[in-house]
Amino acid sequence: MIQLKMERFFKFMVFSFFLLCSLSLCNAIASRSSSSSSSTTRHTNNWAVLVCTSRFWFNYRHMANTLSLYRTVKRLGIPDERIILMLADDMACNARNKYPAQVFNNENHKLNLYGDNVEVDYRGYEVTVENFLRVLTGRHKTAVPRSKRLLSDEGSHILLYMTGHGGDEFLKFQDSEELQSHDLADAVKQMKEKRRFKELLIMVDTCQAATLFSQLQSPGVLTIGSSMKGENSYSHHLDSDVGVSVVDRFTFYTLAFFERLNIYDNAPLSSLFGSYNPSMLMSTAYYRTDLYQRQLQEVPVTNFFGSVMETIHTDSSYRALSGRESRKDKIKMPFDPSASLHDQRTSLNSNGQQEINDSNKKDQEVACPFTRMMATFHDKMEKIEDVDTLVNYGFVLMLPLVAVSTWLSR
Amino acid sequence: MVESEPLKPKPRPIVRIGIFLISHSLLVSVVCCTAGVLALLLLPVLAKNTYISENALVPGSSHPMLTSQDVSEANKFVREINNLKPTGTSIGISGLIAQHMVDLGAEVCYHKFHPQLNKFHPLQFFSGPDSGIIQENCSCSSYGINTVGIIRAPRGDGKEAIVLVTPYNSVNVSPGEALSLGIASSVFSLLTRVTWLAKDIIWLAADSQHGEYASVAAWLRDYHTPLFGGLAKLNAEMCHESIMLYELKKSLVTGAEVSDVFRRAGTMAAALVIKVANGNEEVEKDTLSIYAEASNGQMPNLDLINVVNYLAVHGQGLRVKVEKFSSLLDSKWLRVLGETFESLGKVARSLNPQWKFGMPVADYIEGTATLASSLYHQALGVPTGPHGAFRDYQVDAITLEIAPIVSSNKGRQNEFLLRGGRLVEGVLRSVNNLLEKFHQSFFLYLLTSPSKFVSVGVYMIAFALLVAPLPLAAASLYSDANKVDSSSEKDTFTSSSASVNIPAITFKSWNWLHAAKAVFIVHIWSVIITLLPYFIGQIPNCTPTNSLLIWVLLSVFCLLALRMTLGSSFSIISVSQLQKKEWALLKSVTISAAFVSLCLMSVINFATAEIGALLIVPMCLMATPLRFELKARSLRSITRAACNLVLAFIGFPPNAYVISKGLFEGFGSVNVGDFWNWLDSLRAWNSATYLYVCMVHIPCWVLCVYILLHHC
Repeated sequence: MIQLKMERFFKFMVFSFFLLCSLSLCNAIASRSSSSSSSTTRHTNNWAVLVCTSRFWFNYRHMANTLSLYRTVKRLGIPDERIILMLADDMACNARNKYPAQVFNNENHKLNLYGDNVEVDYRGYEVTVENFLRVLTGRHKTAVPRSKRLLSDEGSHILLYMTGHGGDEFLKFQDSEELQSHDLADAVKQMKEKRRFKELLIMVDTCQAATLFSQLQSPGVLTIGSSMKGENSYSHHLDSDVGVSVVDRFTFYTLAFFERLNIYDNAPLSSLFGSYNPSMLMSTAYYRTDLYQRQLQEVPVTNFFGSVMETIHTDSSYRALSGRESRKDKIKMPFDPSASLHDQRTSLNSNGQQEINDSNKKDQEVACPFTRMMATFHDKMEKIEDVDTLVNYGFVLMLPLVAVSTWLSR
Repeated sequence: MVESEPLKPKPRPIVRIGIFLISHSLLVSVVCCTAGVLALLLLPVLAKNTYISENALVPGSSHPMLTSQDVSEANKFVREINNLKPTGTSIGISGLIAQHMVDLGAEVCYHKFHPQLNKFHPLQFFSGPDSGIIQENCSCSSYGINTVGIIRAPRGDGKEAIVLVTPYNSVNVSPGEALSLGIASSVFSLLTRVTWLAKDIIWLAADSQHGEYASVAAWLRDYHTPLFGGLAKLNAEMCHESIMLYELKKSLVTGAEVSDVFRRAGTMAAALVIKVANGNEEVEKDTLSIYAEASNGQMPNLDLINVVNYLAVHGQGLRVKVEKFSSLLDSKWLRVLGETFESLGKVARSLNPQWKFGMPVADYIEGTATLASSLYHQALGVPTGPHGAFRDYQVDAITLEIAPIVSSNKGRQNEFLLRGGRLVEGVLRSVNNLLEKFHQSFFLYLLTSPSKFVSVGVYMIAFALLVAPLPLAAASLYSDANKVDSSSEKDTFTSSSASVNIPAITFKSWNWLHAAKAVFIVHIWSVIITLLPYFIGQIPNCTPTNSLLIWVLLSVFCLLALRMTLGSSFSIISVSQLQKKEWALLKSVTISAAFVSLCLMSVINFATAEIGALLIVPMCLMATPLRFELKARSLRSITRAACNLVLAFIGFPPNAYVISKGLFEGFGSVNVGDFWNWLDSLRAWNSATYLYVCMVHIPCWVLCVYILLHHC
């Protein structure tokens, strides 16, 4: 009789627990889908996919472009494990390279881009359209190691940089394949549906780069290309020591912009996009913002090119259930407006950031009951000062449990 | 009537066009031939500027690294060579070169070869060069020693190589040859230090005492023929001269490094033959002459010429030229033609500024002279330098002949070496960047200047226009002959019984077989006369003129003999009254044969076919029996007869040769015997042009003369 009652009690407990869980889950999902998804999901991490698609020695500059971008995003804080670097050829070890195992992007040779800490994830013939699309969509064979996967989530900001030889709505891979604008748009759409990113910046340095974006439809995608339809992208200068062109104009001026920045700067994307001078580029940099919700003035470049990580206190294991945390509002602002900003535009930007944070805080007030309970429980646990007594209580509690279980199992 | 009409369907449009063209074949022939000749004359106007088609080459993108130190060392080397006393043997100089190569840090080996006797291998280029012909009866006294140095690419895969060739006469080195060795040595000393080599570099110092071509060809043959412990030993057993080779090795200080083993690198990506002119002619600027024609009009890839031209002009400030017929430069009719084209171009531009047609007169004349030379040298089918040997192995190669300003200044020589060395270095670095064989640019082209070319798509038009009337004329002649036959048959046979009529017609419609037989016999005869010069060549102490005479006499004798034996039915038909039109059938078959052979030849050597077509086509189209013309006694027929005679006179190969030579070089030095020498050299160089002259041109000419003399 008692056994039966106990069972029923357990069942009830379990059922109610599940109910609670599922309720909170539904709540979370509902709240997420009700608001226009990306704007409410928080920026969690930064990823970069850097692709050089062309082979052959005379395309040295494409590899140098990619490696320069790699160095920049790394310097601005994206760690190596969140950078997928794809290089279609190995210029550093090419027999024609006058400086073995070194790659330069400037004829002054001050900066070796191919130092000790370059992690190339896809190299040589691994750089194919198939592999590129697999990286984006996350559909890998099981044997592919984690380091070669784009493990982004719905809060990720992804920078996708591509360079090589392009044409009207295509980008050539490896002298043998093409990535078409439809393929790219499809992959991005899949990513969006699989919640693999919050915001995506696609930066392309090829001839007729703008045409590659024509099929994109997914929200949250910002694109910039080095040239309009019918325009060529030119190399910046020739290194007559190495004997090839070492960097493309668009990338050169991008790098020139970033060289002035450090991780704490919050220059907005608009200042980057506005820095491209068509007469210097010899082509027109084109950016498409109609899919992107935020104002470019409000978005610091480090949102894509850096990784300004928010330090968040523990209980991350419950974050998946709840969708938001109790301590979310305790974001450490990466920059201090009063200290580093003199610019009207940037201060405006930080104000906007502040507003967003405030609204987040308001959202918190009506968080789900389960999280709240856990939070109070957690707070109480924090208050207990004497750990030893707690452990002792624990042991005492164990004894009746053991007794009951042995009795039940008899 | 109404019912019968749909039963007779209209022929298809293409058939109707064909019938229309055939019925107007005379007009079509005249128009096409003039258009063909005009198109040929227009080619310099239609020439395009060359451009570097292969992206990988990136010529001139790197600073030349050749320093003055390399040059001064090379200069020292040149002095050493010049100071070497001519000993009469080849050992001293090749030893010196080998020593120098070893000092520079290269792998060195000697290549001993026996010059191969010229053998007639017509159409050898179809089957590829013969491999491993070991001359069994070669005399041990005559041999040459090539010195080969190889630099291995430090990080390359060793599968490809670039070849530098410097021919020198080991018995007596001329100052030019010494300078070319100096240029190669300066580049070589630089390349032993650089880190950017992806292809091995081979420096072949070719012993040219038996001819530049022979030594390079011998080396290439051995390079491409793997012999397993064969040749060296064989030679050692056969000839005691190898002792001298041994002494040569011992005489070196570091002789141990020079091996007898034939050393190889990878497949050859390109080859440069470097020569320095001996400064006979005065030039105001260092001049680079490019020679590119290989056997049978094969050309190296245009990109190689482009790279050299680009680097020489923009990098080193040399003046680049390709061969041209300088006699054409001051010909009046060309000037008139050029002026016409120029004014036409002006008119065109005034109508529409977009039309870029026409060019200055001076450019036109220059272009035509170069084009003519390009066409002639391709048509000859004889390589214009040692680079020709490489083309037989599908290696792109050219000869660079640099002519320095004549001056005794020592600093001047240093500067010249620096320039030449830097040019060669630039070309090597550019070719080193290649990932594949040269394939992007044209292989079939004619040059009108070092930076202008006519591609195959354009120059084909002239040839196509020239030969297009041939099938039309043949068809028209054939149908006319048949028509006349049938009409005359009607006249003759209407009186006779109808039963005889039908077999007679079938017999007559096969009439052309007799003509075909005649043509066939003449072509068989042409095969015989093709072989004759070989035997005539065996006759000792025979002057060229005598040889030519013997050849002509033997040929005539052969023709008569063949006609007696095989061609007895040659003129049997003439007994009947149908023979009136026999010559028409004969002409039709002759024209068809000429058409087929010209088209075949255009595949083998386009330039030959083009020049040949210029001679043959008018001759074949005009040919009519003289007696027939004289009977008519009208002004038109008499002019036609005169034209026929002139064409037949020009068409006779020795006449054509003498006339063209006289036109270009003046009639003073012309000798009929030269034709024999010319033909013999074509034979010796395995040129397909020899076959063309003997097996297409001469039989065509004979048939045309036969038609002219036809009794009707």
